[in-house]
Amino acid sequence: MAATGEELYKQREQRFNDIVALKRPDRVPVIPLVSHYFPTKIKGVSNRDAGFDHDLRLRCLREATVEFGWDFVPATGLFGSDGYEAVGSLQLRWPGGDLPDDAPFQFVEGEYLKAEEYGQFLADPSGTTLSTIFPRIASGLEGLGMVPPLYFLSNMYYLQAVGGGLLAAPPVRAALQALLALGDAAAAGAAADAAHTQDAATQGYPKTWAAPIIPAFDVVSDTFRSLRGSTLDMYRHPEELLQTIDLMQVPTVALAVQAARMFGNPRIFIPMHRGAGGFMSDEQFERFYWPTFKGLVETLIDQGLIPMPLFEGDYTPRLKYLAELPAGKVAGHFDKIDRQKFKEILGDRMCFWGNVAPSLLCTGTPQQVKDDVKELIDLFGDTGALILDSGLGVPDEARPENMRALREAAEKYGVF
Amino acid sequence: MSNELTDAIVGMREDDALAIVGRELDSGIAPTVVLDEAKEAMSVLGKRFECGDAFIPELIMGGEIMKGISELVKPHLRGPGDAAKRGVVVIGTVRGDIHDIGKDVVVLMLDVNGYEVHDLGVDVPTQAFVDAIGQFKPQVVGLSGLLTLAFDSMKATVDAIAAAGLRDRVKIMVGGAPADRQVQDYTGADGWGSDVAAALNLTAQWTGGEA
Repeated sequence: MAATGEELYKQREQRFNDIVALKRPDRVPVIPLVSHYFPTKIKGVSNRDAGFDHDLRLRCLREATVEFGWDFVPATGLFGSDGYEAVGSLQLRWPGGDLPDDAPFQFVEGEYLKAEEYGQFLADPSGTTLSTIFPRIASGLEGLGMVPPLYFLSNMYYLQAVGGGLLAAPPVRAALQALLALGDAAAAGAAADAAHTQDAATQGYPKTWAAPIIPAFDVVSDTFRSLRGSTLDMYRHPEELLQTIDLMQVPTVALAVQAARMFGNPRIFIPMHRGAGGFMSDEQFERFYWPTFKGLVETLIDQGLIPMPLFEGDYTPRLKYLAELPAGKVAGHFDKIDRQKFKEILGDRMCFWGNVAPSLLCTGTPQQVKDDVKELIDLFGDTGALILDSGLGVPDEARPENMRALREAAEKYGVF
Repeated sequence: MSNELTDAIVGMREDDALAIVGRELDSGIAPTVVLDEAKEAMSVLGKRFECGDAFIPELIMGGEIMKGISELVKPHLRGPGDAAKRGVVVIGTVRGDIHDIGKDVVVLMLDVNGYEVHDLGVDVPTQAFVDAIGQFKPQVVGLSGLLTLAFDSMKATVDAIAAAGLRDRVKIMVGGAPADRQVQDYTGADGWGSDVAAALNLTAQWTGGEA
């Protein structure tokens, strides 16, 4: 008798947990950590429609999961364009907004907090966010620039006179309405996602992760200061940079734990952008990146959760640091890395996930993909601590025949 | 030439480097000599990067120090004072991709290494590369990209250059984090690189010089 959806769900989740815990599984699974436009693209759905039609996008995602034989339904790294549109996002551009319908969404890196504003930000992070950063990241929130420090309104005299006056001002009202529209979009997106997660579970597919949690350094570098800005800060404003990273750490950790509880999913995706080899020296990594990242991972483990760091870029030079993380507790996903060195240094401490080159899946042949999978299984088959995926989740431009080859090779070489 | 300035730049001591330049200019040292010295320091950083002894932050911060030095030197320069260039490079991030950090570091390092660099920016249409080749007559064209969609844009650009009858006149390198031999073959480029050292080596090789 064929297994029920519930049984398959349990089997698949157990297989994953076994691999993370370095227990030999029955076979090597294919699990894309994340997916953007591949599932909709192959169905002829435009990137614009994928951003706005949540049900359609998520249905395509479930269909791709079944069609390509993935063990988990990947969480989508694509957030609803309706939310960006509601606030007039300037930091994230979307297809159908000021990007062509077939373009992927784009993050616009910039100095949304300027170096000379560190003092102001550290003295009043929430106020600076409200009245300085929000107007910079979204045109619809420009009116918030008029809002004075909120503590000034903390008595009924000023709240009524100053606060009331502000709430009568059209730019402030427009900003508040934009925020409410963002809330509406988020509620619709969350409802669609909850139904999708339930449907996928009924079919037997766990979802990869509960939430993406950006490490504190990357929050500051990606979203406040840009790579250039945070790099210069390491030399010109190291103390302010460190204080800002520390400030971000507390809510970062809290959000991760809260999301896992709220969604009933212990897996937390940690996309890492700026800690890779080449992006900073070992000394800088030890000072600016590693302490808060390690703290995040250790806290999640203490809470019984499974951290899923995506080590983006080449982490070969950082393997010695990863060896400090608790063994059998981290689902490490790798972009570019020396597989042999990983096996030597971390093979008995962390499972190996990813690392099939995006270029291969986009431009190579199915045979090349199968050869690469065979190489991975030859290397990691002794322990079975292996999960197949591209280095960065499913590339939008992956050839479907190559995604099929990934699964076929797993079945051919990876059944123990 | 003083080693003092080189040491300050390579040691990332911005304030010291600018103070030394101010002192040298005041003491009558030719501004072109001061600039050459600063560029030499950047080359040292480039070589250290290639050996794995320096990283992207040193190149970005070095570029920032260079910018400060150029500002100090500029008022002292008389005439264009163009030195002979080692070669001409046209570079840009291909259509659909707006990532510029890697490209900008490559542009900086090619510039301080004595190349004439024409940076076409990001999201560059194929025709803009073709036009720039006609206008600037480069030996080398650099196609940069971070996203996987860049593979097709790079291929379309190489094809457009060929269709315009210009393919034999230039060597083309594809670069960016996801670039590899597979991408070179797919796009029909002559070389690939995932970091600035590779870009410098290919350019030197294709313009008949040493890296």
